This record gives sequence, structure tokens and C-alpha cells, in this order.
Amino acid sequence: MYVAVLLAIGYALHAAGDRIEYSWRWERIPQYLVSNEGTELKASFDGFVSVGADGKSLTLKELKGGRRETLTGFDDLLVGDGDLVFQNDPLARKRGLVPGPLTLGLWMTLRISAVALLFSMLLGLAAGLGRVSRNPAAYGLATTYVELIRGTPLLVQIFIFYFFVGTVLKLSAFTAGVAALAVFTGAYVAEIVRAGIEAIPKGQMEAARSLGMSVPQAMRHVILPQAFKKTLPPLAGQFINLIKDSSLVSVMALTDLTKAGREVVASTFSPFEVWFTVAAMYLVLTGTLSWCVRRLEKRLAHD
Amino acid sequence: MTEPKDEVLIDVRGVGKTFANGVVGLKNVSLRVKRGEVVCIIGPSGSGKSTLLRTLNALETITTGEIEVLGHSVHASRADLNRLRTHLGMVFQSFNLFPHKTVLENLMLAPRVVVGIGEGEARERAEQLLAKVGLADKAEAHPAQLSGGQQQRVAIARALAMQPDIMLFDEPTSALDPEKVNEVLDVMKVLAREGMTMCVVTHEMGFARAVAHRVVFMEAGEVVYEDEPQRFFAAPANERLRAFLGQVLK
Ligand SMILES: Nc1ncnc2c1ncn2[C@@H]1O[C@H](COP(=O)(O)OP(=O)(O)OP(=O)(O)O)[C@@H](O)[C@H]1O
Ligand SMILES: [Mg+2]
Repeated sequence: MYVAVLLAIGYALHAAGDRIEYSWRWERIPQYLVSNEGTELKASFDGFVSVGADGKSLTLKELKGGRRETLTGFDDLLVGDGDLVFQNDPLARKRGLVPGPLTLGLWMTLRISAVALLFSMLLGLAAGLGRVSRNPAAYGLATTYVELIRGTPLLVQIFIFYFFVGTVLKLSAFTAGVAALAVFTGAYVAEIVRAGIEAIPKGQMEAARSLGMSVPQAMRHVILPQAFKKTLPPLAGQFINLIKDSSLVSVMALTDLTKAGREVVASTFSPFEVWFTVAAMYLVLTGTLSWCVRRLEKRLAHD
Repeated sequence: MTEPKDEVLIDVRGVGKTFANGVVGLKNVSLRVKRGEVVCIIGPSGSGKSTLLRTLNALETITTGEIEVLGHSVHASRADLNRLRTHLGMVFQSFNLFPHKTVLENLMLAPRVVVGIGEGEARERAEQLLAKVGLADKAEAHPAQLSGGQQQRVAIARALAMQPDIMLFDEPTSALDPEKVNEVLDVMKVLAREGMTMCVVTHEMGFARAVAHRVVFMEAGEVVYEDEPQRFFAAPANERLRAFLGQVLK
């Protein structure tokens, strides 16, 4: 039944493509995942090329200056002896498989999400502890942070981080993107942490305190280990959101998976195939994450 | 029965407690407990027994009066509560064992992180105490795998692992199946015989009669009557206590 419905949907999509006379060109997609173009070796300054006698080495002499550069170990020559080339012109090519733009975009998305995840955990834990703290300053700060972040759209926060915070602190686009995502996700993690802590029966804290433990000791050894188990499913959901939300950083000068998708669409004119592929790649990321979390949950349930 | 010494360990003087919602928990309560003394506190539900016990180790604040434990004022603003609490073991009606830790780890945790004793010493102490409460074979079990009576014995051992001067029990057998009550009371009797100072809130009149040096009757936040068990149960000179005993002993 499940398979039948999926097949039906697949057919409907295909038929819809036919209706608008869309020609499916799935064969164009793989080269954007893994390209066999190899890597191009580029000129680091303007100059004249002289090719070695065997054609296996190449020397570049600087036009206005004395610098020289010798390249070896390439497979194809892209210039001729005596050619004048300018900085960044391709000189030669090394053959072999290299990751295509979509794969590079996936890698960027993965890196941004992983770093943002780490910092959002730390931030969320701190703010979550603030939310259950009896210290008015800690409580007030944490509450303001959570309300502020949850009350404004992520895209607006990303613009603020990119154009304001990033400019003032001279952050790279990557750092600004990670910061925006971490601060945003941290607010939601804080609420999950708070709920997790509040779900632990009051008697646990009382027992720990009656044994002479301080509040931080009781948190670390008694409350948080128990809360962690309870918060794992909502945390996993939040981190899946983080991966999906990371597509919004493509508005910055960052080539993540979504931005890479846009660029590939621009050069292939195959938007349907590209966006389906991009969606599938996001699914692989989020699917892997939820699979890992499910395994962790099972492991924790055993002890 | 060992006789109490003259040293006063707990001195409650005119303590009143009004909760944030306006409910009066304690009214002008005074109570002294000497070293080695076993005091049982009885009374109807809502009479303030738990509240009184919990003010002794400052799990509950007080509104008026003063409490001194081991010569230290418990509710003074500069009181070192964490340190003071290491001298007061507490056993709860609902056990409150740490479910994510094994029985042995439950016993070792506080001595390790609060006192800072070594792993080996903590383990040795824990194993001795488990043997004492008859659960040496449950060291590696998790609390959820134990019966209520076993859990409460572990909770007692966990409190003893801090080597307290005083043990506070808040209805330690009220959550147990009737056939499990005695295994916990037996452990408490051993403690009493060894000269432990104990404050026990309980409905077990047999235990109070057999073990207590003194029984305290509370009603509506007040200590209404207190006496040594013989007179307390035989011919109490108090109308309200007679009515209460008539109900619970029938
Ligand atoms: N945290 C609290 N906030 C408000 N009122 C409370 C609180 N804890 C206890 N009370 C009230 O204070 C009174 C005394 O409660 P306490 O728990 O000390 O009674 P108890 O003698 O231990 O009763 P039981 O035998 O049912 O355990 C009760 O009226 C109770 O409702
Ligand atoms: Mg009570």
C-alpha cells in the first residue's frame, strides 16, 4: 500500500512534468555531485608561459618583475609556449574525480550545522539553567534572551548578524552564519533543557541537597543526567530543524547546499532535477542524524 | 535500649512557618533532641510533621523562631547549609533514590563529591552499609529493579554513607506494602540500638512504643503533647491525643 502510494505520486510528478512539456534531464545531475573535470592549476600572477621540452613541465615568468613559477605533475596543458596569461588564468589540469558544487555545498551545510549545534548546546544549557535559576539576574537574562529570539524571524536575525554584528566585529560570513544559527537554536534548546529539568521529580533535588550537595553538584550529578534522557527526542528534533534552517544562511556570501543548488540551476536550466536532488541530500543529513539519536536512545534505555 | 546523653543536638525554639500561599504549617513549635535519643512524631495528616522535619535541615524555611543543630543556627543567613546537611541524614517517604545510578553508586555519590573521599574508600564504606541493611547482593542493581522495602533500605544506607550525627525519617514505611514494612523498621531498630540520634515521623505505633525515648503528638501545626512512650500510649493526659490514638489503634 505504502509503496503503491509512493509509485502513484512518482507517476503524478512525471505526468505533471509532461503537462508543462518539461524535459527531464537527470543525466546532467551526477556531474554536479562528483565531477571528473579534475582540478585546474591557475596562474598566480601575470606573465609569459614557457613549456618544457617534454611538455611535462611549465614555467611562468612574471611580466613586470622577476618572479618565476614552475608547475609539474599535471595531465593536460591548457596554454601554449610563449602565451601571455593573466593572474588566475587556468594553465593546466590535473585529471581525477573531485567533489562537485552540490557536494561542496553539502559539506558547507554540514560544517555550519555541526559547529552551530555545538555552540547552541552550550548556549542552550546555560540559558536553560538560567531559566530554572532562583538568581534573578540569571533568570532575567535567560528569559529575555529566549523571548527575544523566539519572537523574531530567523531570517531577520541572520541579516542582523551578517550586516550589523558581523560588520562591527569583523566576522567572516561563516562565523556570522554559525553565530546566528547557534544563538537562534540555543533559545529553543534552552526551553527544552528547562522542560527537561522541570520534569525531574522534586524529590531528586531534595535528596541530593539533603546529602549536602550544592545546587551545581546536584545539577551535574543528579538532575542533568536524568533530564538528558528525557530531552533527547526534542533535542534531536531541534537539531534537525537546525540543519534545515541552515539553508537560510545562503542569503549570506556562503555557498551552502541551498546556494549551490541555486547556482547549479542557473547553469543547467534543470530546476526540477536539481531541487529534488538538493532535497534528497538534506534528507540524507537529517535522516542520518535521527538514526544516530535513535541508536543513542536505545543505548541509554538499556542502562 | 541505649540511654540518651546530655548533649542537645537539636534545639527548636518557638518556630512558626507560614507558607507563601498563607497556609500555616507550624505554630510556635519547640523541641529538643539529645544525642542518642529517638524521638517519634505522630499526628493526623496535615498537622505539620513533615514541615517540622524539613525545617531541621533547611529544606523548608521558617518564618519565626530559631533552630540550632549541633550548635549551629540553621536558618541564619550565614549558615553553611551544605556542610550542616552532611550531619543530618534524611529518609523520604518516596525513597528518592537516584534512578540513573546503581545501588552502589547511589551510596558512593555524596561521599565522593561532597566530602571528596577516594573511590576505594567510598566503595568499601558503601559495601559495608549495604551488608548492614541486608542488600550486599544488590550493589549492581538499579533502583527500579528493587522492591519498595529494598529501595528504602538503600535510601537509609545512602544517608548513613555520609556518617551523619542525626537521622531524619519522614514516614519511611508509608509507601510500602504491609509485608515490607518490618524489613525497614528492623534496620531502623538496629540504628536506634547503636545509639543513633533519630527523629522519626511515623504511623507505626508499635515501632514508636518499642524504640522511641519520647513520642511527640502534633496537631494543626502545634506540638500538643509529648511524653515517654509508656505514659504516652497508656494514659495520655490529653483529650485530643486520646481521640487520635483511639482512632489509629482500633
Ligand atoms: N509547599 C507548601 N505550600 C503550601 N502549603 C503547604 C506546603 N507544604 C505543606 N503545606 C501545608 O502545610 C500543612 C502541613 O503539611 P505537612 O506536610 O507538614 O503535614 P504532615 O503532618 O506531614 O501530613 P502527612 O501525614 O499527610 O504527611 C498542610 O496543611 C499542608 O497542606
Ligand atoms: Mg508528611
